[in-house]
Amino acid sequence: MLASSPAALRVLLVGGPNVGKSTLFNALTGARQHTTNAPGTTVELATGTWRTGGRGAGGRVLPGQAAASSATERAIVDLPGTYSLLARSADEQVTADAVQELAAGFGEGRRQQAVVVVVLDATALSRSLYLLAQVAETGVPLVVALTMLDLSAATTDSPTATMAPEALAAALAASLGVPVVPVDSRNRTDAGLRRLAHAVDAVAEHPRRVTGIPAPAVAFSDHAQEVAHAQALFSWVEHVATALTPEPASAAPGQGLRSPRWRGRRTFSDKLDTVLLNPWAGIPVFLAVVWLLFELTTAFAAPLQGAIGQVVNGPLASAVTWALGQFGLADGWVQGLLVDGLLVGVGTVATFLPVMAVMFAALGVLEDSGYLARAAFVADRAMRSLGLDGRALLPLIVGFGCNLPALAATRTLPHARQRLLTGLLIPLTSCSARLTVYVLLAGAFFPDHAGTVIFAMYLSSVLLVLGAGLLLRRTAFRDVRSGPLMLVLPPYQRPHLRTLGMSVRLRVGAFVLRAGKIIVLTMIIVWALMAVPVTGSHPVGHVPVADSLYYKVASGIAPVFTPAGFGNDHAAAALMTGFVAKEVVVGSFAQSYAVAEPGSSTRAAGLSQRLRGSFGDSSGGHGGAAAMAFMVFLLAYTPCVAALAEQRRLFGWRPTASALATQLAGAWVLAVLVFQVGSRL
Amino acid sequence: MTLPESPMGAALRVTGVRLAAADAFRLSEMGIRCGTLAHVTHYAAFGGRVIAVAGSRYALDGGTAALIDVEPLTCPG
Repeated sequence: MLASSPAALRVLLVGGPNVGKSTLFNALTGARQHTTNAPGTTVELATGTWRTGGRGAGGRVLPGQAAASSATERAIVDLPGTYSLLARSADEQVTADAVQELAAGFGEGRRQQAVVVVVLDATALSRSLYLLAQVAETGVPLVVALTMLDLSAATTDSPTATMAPEALAAALAASLGVPVVPVDSRNRTDAGLRRLAHAVDAVAEHPRRVTGIPAPAVAFSDHAQEVAHAQALFSWVEHVATALTPEPASAAPGQGLRSPRWRGRRTFSDKLDTVLLNPWAGIPVFLAVVWLLFELTTAFAAPLQGAIGQVVNGPLASAVTWALGQFGLADGWVQGLLVDGLLVGVGTVATFLPVMAVMFAALGVLEDSGYLARAAFVADRAMRSLGLDGRALLPLIVGFGCNLPALAATRTLPHARQRLLTGLLIPLTSCSARLTVYVLLAGAFFPDHAGTVIFAMYLSSVLLVLGAGLLLRRTAFRDVRSGPLMLVLPPYQRPHLRTLGMSVRLRVGAFVLRAGKIIVLTMIIVWALMAVPVTGSHPVGHVPVADSLYYKVASGIAPVFTPAGFGNDHAAAALMTGFVAKEVVVGSFAQSYAVAEPGSSTRAAGLSQRLRGSFGDSSGGHGGAAAMAFMVFLLAYTPCVAALAEQRRLFGWRPTASALATQLAGAWVLAVLVFQVGSRL
Repeated sequence: MTLPESPMGAALRVTGVRLAAADAFRLSEMGIRCGTLAHVTHYAAFGGRVIAVAGSRYALDGGTAALIDVEPLTCPG
């Protein structure tokens, strides 16, 4: 599970969903982290190096604990959040397996330096303590990190919300027999983080285990045994939690924490939810939030995209051309490769950055604020009609950022058929890479209503998901049943800018690394296809587009799209490269026009003007309708190659190939329909 | 009575969970099980309910809420 040097102390971060585990991980590792897939799965694990200055770092050793070891680097893994080690999804299984594997190592007497840090949500101790009990009974050495202490009594009505962090930690530590460290993960200079490091090092040297846990679990032969053992753990949880309650509680075992003070009190989140979860207002608010999200990615990000594009294609391209000229390489195939291939590819990636950053930031705000869970609840009914519960909305929303992580997120759904159905719908969610094409075409053909057109495309995507879902539910997925929706709603919080910034930086960085290489490579391949002559006797790199290999392939495909109004070579070529990655479509347009008419007087004209020209020609003067049809086709025809590969990995070749063929045919029908109707209006 | 039949804000005790065994077990692991004290904080669309348990808020769809039996607490405590 953990790949690390033998000498490195291994640390597993375990905790429930929304307990601040990943925020803690980010605070401990900073930029020294990367994501990998758990072996044999597509569940992503964040791994990193937790580096401190050891004993000289200024942190103090907790009272009563052994001195910290000399280890100053620890290999740390942020395991998927789970409520229980009795896993119900692939993600939860990864966490359960990691803990069991570690416990087995200790059980066999293997020499290993490893500690589990269990992250407890101070505002939901009963729930967190149950997971802690399960981890503790495996016998692994552990330390407790107490989070969410910054949530004031005004934000939560947890029975322990009014307790001072240190007092709560001390009471818990006395009860559990292991170090309990209150941490403020949003503050990287927080003394709690240093104390956590010392506690982990100390426990690694002298393992500490939770005391008072009921008899360790054996392999359960049936569900009744699982339930019986869980009841024993529940009783232990109640015992610990009741002892922590500031006021005496008269509740019988199994009744949960209670206090007359909290019952019936309305928190800030309760007041906000009165509107956001209202049966009538909740859905309009949800739609308004989505609309705002996409206004941000257009009104805010598009100008930045334009500025970056101008710099790359203007001064930067001129500088590279000038530099090549100094070496006598101007006007040759080398210049074509570097300027029209490599630089165009790099420029394409660069222009995506604002859109991606805005999208990731917006999704991060929704997630960190606590609204995303409400969105899942509000949309539950819509998902339920597809045989899915509200949780399926989460990967579907993520799909609007990028289909690839959305497919991985389907693993959180508990049933395989629900995962498959969601996984087949995700490619119909309009990922942000497609947004760049919408921005380009909407700006070119509907400059006065670009925002509305783009919003219409996202609305179309939602309708497409619902339509396809209903169709699948009534055909190939008749067996799919909805599971119960049981969501914990986290208290609303103000997103923390530094944490959000780090998250955006990491995600944008991953996009550049994972998609950027494909994009640049694709642009070089596109340039090469354009540079290779198939007719005439042209030197490589100086091929009129009509004689290039690229043009021949695109020309062969283009007539297929004539009924949809965009049966021109440029559109066909862009769709060809979009098959590899949607991010490339805009770059492909730019490149194909630039190469197609290298010496023409219209070269200086903008890409928009050229698009209007060719779409107008191929549609008999109905360029707007053809552009709409093109966008609809692009929305529906296929995800990128990376997403297809992920689908194949998750679900196998047959569903992936069937979905691909169905999507191509469906997209063509929709595009023809849009054009034929639109051109008659 | 069931959760959807419960008045807003009234103190309740869970007396039964008639979900499928695996779902009921997960709900109990999350903190909602027989004996749990709760109160309804929000009515949502399509019968959905938000309930407060030990300081946490749980969102339950209408179908799930209808399978959770509760009784009102008649004395403070």
